[in-house]
Amino acid sequence: MAAGELEGGKPLNGLLNALAQDTFHGHPGITEELLRSQLYPEVPPEEFRPFLAKMRGILKSIASADMDFNQLEAFLTAQTKKQGGITSDQAAVISKFWKSHKTKIRESLMNQSRWNSGLRGLSWRVDGKSQSRHSAQIHTPVAIIELELGKYGQMGCLRGSQEAKP
Amino acid sequence: VEKSSELPLDAKSEFVDFQWKLGLAASCDSCRSLKYPYVAVMLKVADHSGQVKTKSFEMTVPQFQNFDRQFKEIAAAIEAM
Repeated sequence: MAAGELEGGKPLNGLLNALAQDTFHGHPGITEELLRSQLYPEVPPEEFRPFLAKMRGILKSIASADMDFNQLEAFLTAQTKKQGGITSDQAAVISKFWKSHKTKIRESLMNQSRWNSGLRGLSWRVDGKSQSRHSAQIHTPVAIIELELGKYGQMGCLRGSQEAKP
Repeated sequence: VEKSSELPLDAKSEFVDFQWKLGLAASCDSCRSLKYPYVAVMLKVADHSGQVKTKSFEMTVPQFQNFDRQFKEIAAAIEAM
């Protein structure tokens, strides 16, 4: 087994980045073969597959529990002691990765859990009406507000107005 | 017949009502420890024919803070007129 090639360092950091893009940020087209050929070209597919699954599982566990740094260290230490677990080099790379990407991953998880429309944008204008065909109102300010609503990944608009009460 | 209110020509609807709730999403299938506070809003608007429609949406806390700030700016702009 080419264990040495599955050690930590740059390829593992790249792998974790790609796994995060695929699992949390919805980036399409990240396949196992793409990752293996780009990051671990010397590792045969039948060895790479379980390694990839293990790293994905670890990352998902860390993200799902929203681990703080104490929990992370305890979790990764336990993983290094397990049969078929990770090396301490790999643990160090995973730890560094989570510390720098935690906020962004958490934000993606929050977005994934939002099933109602979100507020994507708000713009407004205040009009000062002086007179119109049907009424002789003078100086009645009206606020016109445009809300852009949409599901995570979609767009939609709602525009409404509210006359200001004197 | 004089209309009691009329909409600016480019506004689709008139504001009727605004309801809100503050929620905390504790957990979900992809994240066991979500702990995500949000503001959910139910907006009622009436179109030109008077038909009332409801729109609901969610905001994160920072989005809501921006929402609040924008409405304060609107109020200030109206006051200044």
